[in-house]
Amino acid sequence: MKILVFVKQVADTEARITITNNGRSLEVENKYALNFFDEFAIEEALRIKERLKDVEVVVCSYGPKRSIEALRTAIAMGADRAVLIDSKDLDTDDPLITAKILSGFAKGDGFDMILCGKQAIDDENATIGPMVAEMLHIPHVGLVTKIETPEGGEVRVDRDIEGGRQTVKVKLPCLLIVQKGINEPRVPLITGVMKAMKANIPVLDPATYGIDVNSCTKEEAKVKVVRYESPGGRPPVKFIEGATAEEKAKRLIKVLKEEARVL
Amino acid sequence: MAKDIFVFIEGKDEGVRKSSIELLSKAKGITKNHNSTTYGILIGPKSEEMVDTVRPYPDKLIVVRGDGLDEYRWDTYTPILERLIKTYRPFLFLGPSTITGKDLFPRLAARLGAAYISDATGIEFEGEEALVKKAMFGGKIISWMGINEKDCALVTFRPNSFSIDRPSGMAEVIEEMGDGKSEEAITVLETKKTMEKKVDLQEADFIICGGRGMKGPEQFGIIEEIASLMEGRVGASRAVVDAKWRDYEDQIGKSGKTVSPKLYIGCGVSGALHHTMGMDTSKVIVAINKDPNAPIFQYADYGIVDDLFDVLPALKEELKKLKEQAG
Ligand SMILES: Cc1cc2nc3c(=O)[nH]c(=O)nc-3n(C[C@H](O)[C@H](O)[C@H](O)COP(=O)(O)OP(=O)(O)OC[C@H]3O[C@@H](n4cnc5c(N)ncnc54)[C@H](O)[C@@H]3O)c2cc1C
Ligand SMILES: Nc1ncnc2c1ncn2[C@@H]1O[C@H](COP(=O)(O)O)[C@@H](O)[C@H]1O
Repeated sequence: MKILVFVKQVADTEARITITNNGRSLEVENKYALNFFDEFAIEEALRIKERLKDVEVVVCSYGPKRSIEALRTAIAMGADRAVLIDSKDLDTDDPLITAKILSGFAKGDGFDMILCGKQAIDDENATIGPMVAEMLHIPHVGLVTKIETPEGGEVRVDRDIEGGRQTVKVKLPCLLIVQKGINEPRVPLITGVMKAMKANIPVLDPATYGIDVNSCTKEEAKVKVVRYESPGGRPPVKFIEGATAEEKAKRLIKVLKEEARVL
Repeated sequence: MAKDIFVFIEGKDEGVRKSSIELLSKAKGITKNHNSTTYGILIGPKSEEMVDTVRPYPDKLIVVRGDGLDEYRWDTYTPILERLIKTYRPFLFLGPSTITGKDLFPRLAARLGAAYISDATGIEFEGEEALVKKAMFGGKIISWMGINEKDCALVTFRPNSFSIDRPSGMAEVIEEMGDGKSEEAITVLETKKTMEKKVDLQEADFIICGGRGMKGPEQFGIIEEIASLMEGRVGASRAVVDAKWRDYEDQIGKSGKTVSPKLYIGCGVSGALHHTMGMDTSKVIVAINKDPNAPIFQYADYGIVDDLFDVLPALKEELKKLKEQAG
């Protein structure tokens, strides 16, 4: 069985991000990490491998060269192999293009199951999973919190639904979107880190595996950022003064009612 | 192409999700300017009450009926919506950025090959061009996205992104039939509802959030009381959820839910970045913390520096009085 895990390298939450070029571009401090939710996906693939033995875990990312580091983290955790699809200068705001490139890779490389994270913490789209599944004509299940060992061409999973939880059975091949709570991702052992440092991570050009790159250019993007802004920074906090807690509470209610008009 | 807009109506229990009504109000504001039509799209209504609730908001209401359509599934809803969009050719299809919206819209966008923007918080027009507002990097950056699409573009919006206008009519109802048979690739074995009828955290207008400063699970009683008094919800920081004082479904922040209520009150929450990224789009933020240097005050509109165990009982009494005055 072959499990494909899609991961993205993203700006660390602590990284400083500056708006440049009159709001037309961003400058991200050089602090990147494997996307938070993708660690759960890698961990889950490894756990299935530990239970079923005859499993290959392949990790794949579409992004600039620096994304190799995120792939090394995946190898250090225990993935069998990793592939980077080089985005070159094609970096896009359009998830359709990313999904097209990833699903093209999946088709070529083959898989029984694809795992991906709930969302990338940079674009915050939560979009790639269902899009890739649709392009591959396979079922997807979102917000998965438990994956049982696949058996007889099927897998049972738990997932969150609106106001509750559901257990479903899905036929393979399928795509599962995992979220926090499904597991505790392992911290790579030193031997894993050494292996990852030496691992050969091929860098692919999407054109070489049959993707029509002309449909993936910046001009073809159906959505793109026109302008970046800082979040309309709130005015400084107004501290509510008073001699006692009661007085402060009373004054707070008054301003919420009369000034902020939210009560 | 006519600038008609489709709005996905999401049900909740026997009723309709508030965010769907918000989107209908917004869509109508836009179509009024374009002399076009706002369509509500309601698939597999659980009750006629649902139809009656939404009818006053759109210009027209398409109701799709068929066995098996009362519960959302992407495999049954996607082909129905694909057909409707190809028939009616709206220029925008709006939906709520809820669990259902996030499951359905990207799948549908890929099927149509359509432009898709998720989890937006606003939309504005510069001439004919729609610009969609969206938070990125945990709210550190706002982006305005342009749409380069001749056909229908899909956008999901965070609940509480728009206010609800007073309804002004009674939509003509268009009945359609739909196929509720699923592809059988997915079989539902068991469904457990955990929060019957409560307001969803993401849809609540009022959230009172407890942090580690609450000291223990038993102290959340007063927060519960205030939340129910205000018909809102209790939220929690991760420290509180990790300590098992509250369930994960209450968690606000990077690894929890993103909320945008009219009023957020943080009690004993320090305001770590991982937390604020889940709540900094709230309309009004109040922080109660005994430490005047707590980072949450950098995000708050109003702050009280004091012991929360003294403030909360007084706050509850004041809110109670307010409610009584309002009758
Ligand atoms: C990858 C990652 C993801 C994370 N995701 C989330 C997330 O989704 N949500 C989240 O919330 N956190 C998240 N965190 C954790 C986050 O960084 C903070 O650790 C957490 O939010 C702190 O919770 P807290 O504010 O309740 O506790 P603390 O930071 O301990 O703050 C308690 C506050 O209470 C105040 N206080 C104490 N006693 C009183 C009193 N009697 N009266 C008034 N004030 C009092 C203190 O002054 C202090 O400011 C994440 C962390 C990581 C690394
Ligand atoms: N460029 C990418 N390369 C590989 N996987 C990705 C990429 N972008 C997104 N993903 C996967 O899709 C998930 C959801 O991302 P998003 O839709 O961008 O929020 C992520 O958690 C990853 O698992």
